[in-house]
Amino acid sequence: MRFQIVLALAFAGVALPAGSGQTTVTRHAASPTPVASPEAAPQKTLSTRVVAYQIDAHLDPPKHTIVATETLRYRNLTGQPQKTFPFHLYLNAFQPQSTFITEERRDDPDYQWKPASFGAINISHLEVTGMGDLTNQFHFIQPDDRNEADHTVMQIELPRAVPAGAEVEFKIAFNDQMPEVVARTGYLRDFYMVGQWFPKVGVWWKGAWNCHQFHNTTEFFADFGSFDVKVTLPQNEIVGAGGDLISSTNNPDGTKTLTFHSEDVHDFSWSASPSFTDVEDSWTGSAGTVKLHVLMSPGHLASAPRYIQVLKGTLALYDQWIGPYPYDRLTVIDPPHGGSEAGGMEYPTLITADTYWFMPKGAFLPEVVTQHEFGHQYWYGMVATNEFEEAWLDEGINSYMETKGMDALYGKDTSVFNLPFAQMGEDDEERVAYLHKPDTDPIARFAWRFYDSGAYGAITYGKTTTVLLTLEKIIGEETLRQALHTYFMRYRFTHPTGEDFIKTVEEVSGKDLRWYFDQAISGTQMLDYKILDAHSDPVNWYESEDTAVKNSDVLYRTYVTVQRKDDFVFPVDVKITFDDEKSVIEHWDGRDRWVRYVYDRKSQLVSAEIDPEHQIWLDRDFFNNSYTVTPDNRATKKLSNILGFASEWIAQLLAWIA
Amino acid sequence: MADATPRTFFSGASLVWGRQRVLWLIYVVNFALAYFATRGTNERIAAILDHSLAARQIVHGFNLGALASLAANPESPLGGSISASLSTAMLFTVFMVFATGGVLATYYSGQRLHSGAFFEACGHHFWRFVRLTIYLVVVLIPVFILGEIMHRVYNRIDKQSISPMPAVHFLEVAVVLVLLLLICIRVWFDMAQVISVAEDERRIHKALRRSATLMRHNFLSLYWLYLRVSLVSWIVFAIGLHIWMTHLRPESILAPFLLSQFLIIFWQGCRLWQRASECIWYRGHQRAIAVSTPSYEPLPVISQQPQAAPTA
Repeated sequence: MRFQIVLALAFAGVALPAGSGQTTVTRHAASPTPVASPEAAPQKTLSTRVVAYQIDAHLDPPKHTIVATETLRYRNLTGQPQKTFPFHLYLNAFQPQSTFITEERRDDPDYQWKPASFGAINISHLEVTGMGDLTNQFHFIQPDDRNEADHTVMQIELPRAVPAGAEVEFKIAFNDQMPEVVARTGYLRDFYMVGQWFPKVGVWWKGAWNCHQFHNTTEFFADFGSFDVKVTLPQNEIVGAGGDLISSTNNPDGTKTLTFHSEDVHDFSWSASPSFTDVEDSWTGSAGTVKLHVLMSPGHLASAPRYIQVLKGTLALYDQWIGPYPYDRLTVIDPPHGGSEAGGMEYPTLITADTYWFMPKGAFLPEVVTQHEFGHQYWYGMVATNEFEEAWLDEGINSYMETKGMDALYGKDTSVFNLPFAQMGEDDEERVAYLHKPDTDPIARFAWRFYDSGAYGAITYGKTTTVLLTLEKIIGEETLRQALHTYFMRYRFTHPTGEDFIKTVEEVSGKDLRWYFDQAISGTQMLDYKILDAHSDPVNWYESEDTAVKNSDVLYRTYVTVQRKDDFVFPVDVKITFDDEKSVIEHWDGRDRWVRYVYDRKSQLVSAEIDPEHQIWLDRDFFNNSYTVTPDNRATKKLSNILGFASEWIAQLLAWIA
Repeated sequence: MADATPRTFFSGASLVWGRQRVLWLIYVVNFALAYFATRGTNERIAAILDHSLAARQIVHGFNLGALASLAANPESPLGGSISASLSTAMLFTVFMVFATGGVLATYYSGQRLHSGAFFEACGHHFWRFVRLTIYLVVVLIPVFILGEIMHRVYNRIDKQSISPMPAVHFLEVAVVLVLLLLICIRVWFDMAQVISVAEDERRIHKALRRSATLMRHNFLSLYWLYLRVSLVSWIVFAIGLHIWMTHLRPESILAPFLLSQFLIIFWQGCRLWQRASECIWYRGHQRAIAVSTPSYEPLPVISQQPQAAPTA
């Protein structure tokens, strides 16, 4: 999920490579043409399929409810008999005493509960094939905080254990009450974003069930498998889903039933609205052709070409840099105005974007969000890390890749804003996000244990990106990219850990990087180097000025002192430039608190600069990284002029009442 | 009956141009207050940027990342700048309440007042205009309520409509209506100020009543007079900002400074233009009444001095 929101006020253009395929825009009365049935398609076994869900859901738009039945076949690949099974019931988070809402209020005392935000998932029937009706056997558990009012995880004890290697079939009837859009799911007017909507079994991981409660900062974690989902809803609804459309049948009662199939994924979501406009396109990469469906909400159609362009550009970049996109489809949901709570979210083969009716060309909010959510197809979708416990592995790595992708497509210093009067690059945006709350928590922390949601966002997204950008200085950008490629190819369709990632980077780079990751990932140290002092002085300073002037070979002693202000130890380069246009590069391991360089030369100091290549993005203060002997006050004057003008202008406006 | 003919419109501009000392006085006070409001911030910024090579990101372009990084700097160079600007804006408002008496006396007399007379007029009318400002704040309360109602209607339309555009169009119309209403109120209160100065009217509520009567009978001409000046000021301001943002080199310092100050002066000049035009209009109105009123006794000629102006 994308947290940063970027806004802009003026215009600029950017050139993008033309995408392949032809864009078509249609206002459907019905959903897209079905593809071949799964039986006819060749069997894919990209993942180890643990789960097979069959869901039959009926949407009731006036009541905002879904009545559904679910059949889950679970393969016990845990290596031991299993008698206990936990299930996520995410929609129960949207209740006033849930852990999710309690944390919302904790982080924002102004947060007000709205009755329309109420969401629920009620189990009306639960049976296990061969074991009978167990509806009365399940109970809610709270493994994270013991909040008994939190019903986002239920657990069922089976009468007898499922042997290792065997399958067990759960049959569940449930009812969803959809909330007004909140935290990635819900309805808004005629729009539905249906995510995290069915009972989802936990993951057996590291020798135990991993099924955390739903927190206001956490996302999801699930096993791979297949989904066969039937959705029945009014015939005028236009539907986008995270699966191939197998069939569409109109029913006599004015509804239609759409059947979707998806495999080698760990979740299934869908969206519906009669107001969508479907913009279709396609892109062909190393794994074949990908059909693109962009479902645009009213008033946003102008952003559709932008979504398509950035999708095609990103698909090509990821195909080249990281690995193939193996699915044959990708659906983008554009939430309607006011529905940003449903925007900027990732599900397997379905993402939600975000835009506004007025979006200047030089403000790349739609592009940033779309690229970020698409990137999650790799970092979450395929490399399915545990978002509860190691969110940096999906959000952080994905944000780092977002900087690379956006920079490649829109320019390094202009990839967020490229306006006539102001610019901003993705690298800077992520670093600024990190500086918002840089040192409350280590990156490697369970998502709900961060100081607050702001710290979670700043550190998980911004700091991880900044850590990886700084890692480029140690191992090189190309080596890091190669490491990510190796990590992806090795761990796709599995649940790797942070340790797997670090080991892969060390292996590919051939370097021991523990000293770095221990500080950057496991620690909260801040990095700040400063030019503490820099000046030149005549060596014979005690001689009178007249004597010194007569001597044309005046020798100067130059002192440059570099200080490590904070606790993060990092080797740095220091470039010292003299007025004979010659420079010296010093390398300091940074272990001590400060280091002083002394030079006796016939030239005087012009400037001293730490990290002259500007690669240490973790440095919290770039301005103290350099010192020029001669001041240059142009930047100060420029800002002073703007501040003064603004102050005069505010005074003029207020004085209107005089 | 006086009318807001093009002659009044241009005569107002001519009067502002001819009495530039008034404009410069206000500008200097505005500039000085802004200078003091931003001085501390500027000094903190200078301490960080003047010897740093990283400042070049701000010189050569306008890197929002560098600016955001500056804002996040541990030294907090930008902290407190908004509150300082708001404080000096309040001071400037008080100054304008004070100066308005002198400004209107100058414009109504049509003569160059020496400093002593100018500030005497300022002091003479100060407390009246304080009371008038209080009345204005009271009158603005319903406008704020109206604005709040429109905001709620906007939210309601936005929430209910499938497309964002109906709410956007409603908002556009609502903003224009509120702005037009605010101009209307300003015309009313400006006229009350002119009457107060021209007739040396101490009773503000009476000046407001007379001003309202005048507006009722001459609404279109007075309103159009103000609206035209407002349009000119907004258009020039927008063009100036556009030039600043798109046509000036990022490295240039002097040109943006001159342009920004021109915009401030021009904006202030337009406000004075409205006041000067209204003074001229009122003077013409008084003359017209004097000529048209049947009288057995010849009416006294309306003096150029506000103190000598007869009550109608």
